[in-house]
Amino acid sequence: MKRIMAVTLAALLASGILPAGDWPSRTINLTVPYGAGGTTDLTARSIANGMAKVLGVNINVINTPGAGGSAGSLNVQNARLDGYTLLANGMLAFATMPLNGYTEKTFREWDIWIATYAPNGIIVPADSPYNTITDLINAIKANPGQITAGTAGAGSGGHFGAEVIKAIAGADYKHITYQGGGPAVTATLAGEVDFCPQLLAEYKDLVIAGKVKALAVLSESDIEIAPGKVIPTILKSYPDAKKFIPMGEVTGILVPKGLPEDILSKLDAAFSSAAREKDFLDFAAVRSFAVMPMGRAESQKFLETFAGRAAYILYDAKAVTIDPAQYGFKRP
Amino acid sequence: MAFHYMLDACLNVLSPLNFLLLVLSVAAGLVMGVLPGLSATMAIALLTGLTYNVGDHQTAIIALLGVYVGAISGGCQSAILLNIPGTPASAATAMDGFPLANEGKGGLAIFIATSVSCLGTMLSVAFVLTLTPILTSFALEFKSWEFFLLSVFGILICGTLTARGNALKGWISGAAGLLVAQIGLDTVDTFPRFSYGNVNVMSGIQLIPVMIGLFGFPEIVMAFKRKTGENVLKLTSFNIREGFRIIGENVIGVVRSAFIGVGIGIIPGVGEDVGGWLSYWAMKASSGNPETFGTGNPKGVVAAETGNNACIGGAIVPVLSLAVPGSAPAAVLLAAFFTHNYRPGPLLMSESPEFVYNVAIYLMFASVAMWLLALGMARLTVRVLTVDKMILMPIIFLLCIIGSYLINYNLFDVKVMCIFGLIGLGMAYMNVPAAPFILGVVLGPMTDSNLRRALRLSDGSFLPMFGSPICAIFLAACIMMILSQTGLFSWLRRRRRNV
Repeated sequence: MKRIMAVTLAALLASGILPAGDWPSRTINLTVPYGAGGTTDLTARSIANGMAKVLGVNINVINTPGAGGSAGSLNVQNARLDGYTLLANGMLAFATMPLNGYTEKTFREWDIWIATYAPNGIIVPADSPYNTITDLINAIKANPGQITAGTAGAGSGGHFGAEVIKAIAGADYKHITYQGGGPAVTATLAGEVDFCPQLLAEYKDLVIAGKVKALAVLSESDIEIAPGKVIPTILKSYPDAKKFIPMGEVTGILVPKGLPEDILSKLDAAFSSAAREKDFLDFAAVRSFAVMPMGRAESQKFLETFAGRAAYILYDAKAVTIDPAQYGFKRP
Repeated sequence: MAFHYMLDACLNVLSPLNFLLLVLSVAAGLVMGVLPGLSATMAIALLTGLTYNVGDHQTAIIALLGVYVGAISGGCQSAILLNIPGTPASAATAMDGFPLANEGKGGLAIFIATSVSCLGTMLSVAFVLTLTPILTSFALEFKSWEFFLLSVFGILICGTLTARGNALKGWISGAAGLLVAQIGLDTVDTFPRFSYGNVNVMSGIQLIPVMIGLFGFPEIVMAFKRKTGENVLKLTSFNIREGFRIIGENVIGVVRSAFIGVGIGIIPGVGEDVGGWLSYWAMKASSGNPETFGTGNPKGVVAAETGNNACIGGAIVPVLSLAVPGSAPAAVLLAAFFTHNYRPGPLLMSESPEFVYNVAIYLMFASVAMWLLALGMARLTVRVLTVDKMILMPIIFLLCIIGSYLINYNLFDVKVMCIFGLIGLGMAYMNVPAAPFILGVVLGPMTDSNLRRALRLSDGSFLPMFGSPICAIFLAACIMMILSQTGLFSWLRRRRRNV
């Protein structure tokens, strides 16, 4: 009996096939192409909650991890375009997807609402000899290819951070990759790598507790993570790095272009209200995310610069072989 | 102060609503655990979404921990009754549990498994409460070389995971599993291996469809090869006293398995499944009659189920102290804690000191609730054995398909399940055990990526492998394992006896 009940339940969960009417008349599925509980997932859920209130229907978050977020993004790209399947994704991986050869569609063929920005933070183990970002960069200059950086892998947020450091130092680092941001942070705690350039949000508490030292953030201004605890922007020591900054993950809601304008304007309204919800702002504050809601037109404009910067960082690091120019990405 | 927090937590969990939710979530976890394909990781992930809007965060945490304990423990029932582990964590339980069920002792096996599951969780929680700081520093001792040697040791165990002691077949199966684990984007350079440009293959072969296929298909086909009538197993009733007697005789085994489970749980990225396997191996290695393992020795069930449940407490230690998950379900649990405005990690003890005690107490209550519910549920599930398998197995087949689909809502996983089902059939005909294959798939990515990472860190030198005490212990253990399985020890023993 228990088995039968569970099967019925599973079948109900799996089927989203209900009659359609005036949009939205049924539950909207929001695909998160990463696991539950990650940065993208939490941001998506927080935004979805606010949007659901305005739209008056449930928004069901579906996690489809795999292939660095591409599997889920492609699912949404290939799904029926009826406004009931949305995507939430980080723009670093999303915008560079064509360069991996997964798809030929760029961000220009999607309607995008950007919600948050989370900067990279450069940290070193608590007992590291480096106390400032200048110490670290001088060490990389003095020992090219010897200083180890632990990241979540090629194309991850941390990889972008490390490449910015490399560009500033003008010398290479040794890239040590882990199966995700968590293991990379653990390795930094254990002292296996010299520095970790992942997103600041991933180790904010470790910095506050003094388990690791934060040297700089790759945002345009300093960030105060706790009263009196300020992490300087890298621009303070290296103003020339301006063209790479801000670097970090930008997260938003996406849907392939082609929806009727009345559905899009309902999404516009729902998004802008959700981005002002207190719960969402609180969530962003705890994680040190900057809330910078952008509408569809503004997001496209932002992404032209951002995607170009991200694409060329990957291309120059030889992490991808397809030339970004092929898709009209502009070199910063 | 600590006592005060614990009392608060007890009062909290005993409030009518929370208690009801605890019972419901443990029951839901058990059902998810019993069903092949629905793993603990998934149960917690699903519940994380469902509890997102629950206002009282304590209530949500109780439900999440309940479903965790339930799912890890529930898997043993399908492992014992059907030889199809409900979750990867109870794959080791099937080794001796299923033969016991074939002897008509399914009820007894479930009773033992459930009781030691409860004990395993309790013991591990005791560790959490008393030793968190020491255990945390232990977790940070594990760097790439240590991870690599641990996984090599795990793979060497494959040789002992065969019923009739044919170590070679175990190793062949394990090596095949290792190769399967290499499919997909590699974790060091993100290079697609054996993917032929297919995005699904690039995501890698998921463990659960492989497991369901390998274990499930042979059982399903076997049911149709037998004549009618042979398919119905007799069900002998058992004496609870006998169950307690068996557990009582194995107190040392329970404690040893709990130690192993907690240790494996703490190490980031190594989870409940490996905890079960290592405990099973330790029990077998230290027993006087290892040849009876795999043929229905209750000790095997005791070790595997204590080991996997003890991982729960272990896996939670680094979650609470460093915000680093010790296992896959713990990773989702960590995310759920964040969702509910708790920030596990180094600031937890100053920001919400009560949280550690809350988690410990909730886990204790959840494990007791699990014990009672699982035994109640077993009264129904053992009847599965009395159903003609020609009727039962098509239903199981359907469940296998649904279970594979639900992992990522992707039909590709169903195909993977079917392909590995056919491979499993072939292996069953050739008497190659499926268990080492699963272990190979679990440990493959860990072995591969840690070896390559370690070599990159050391610029290609193997010297650092001998550089730490943990490495030395693992190296010694690996050498012992190879020597013992190639028959050297028994040869020496025989020679001494002859002299």
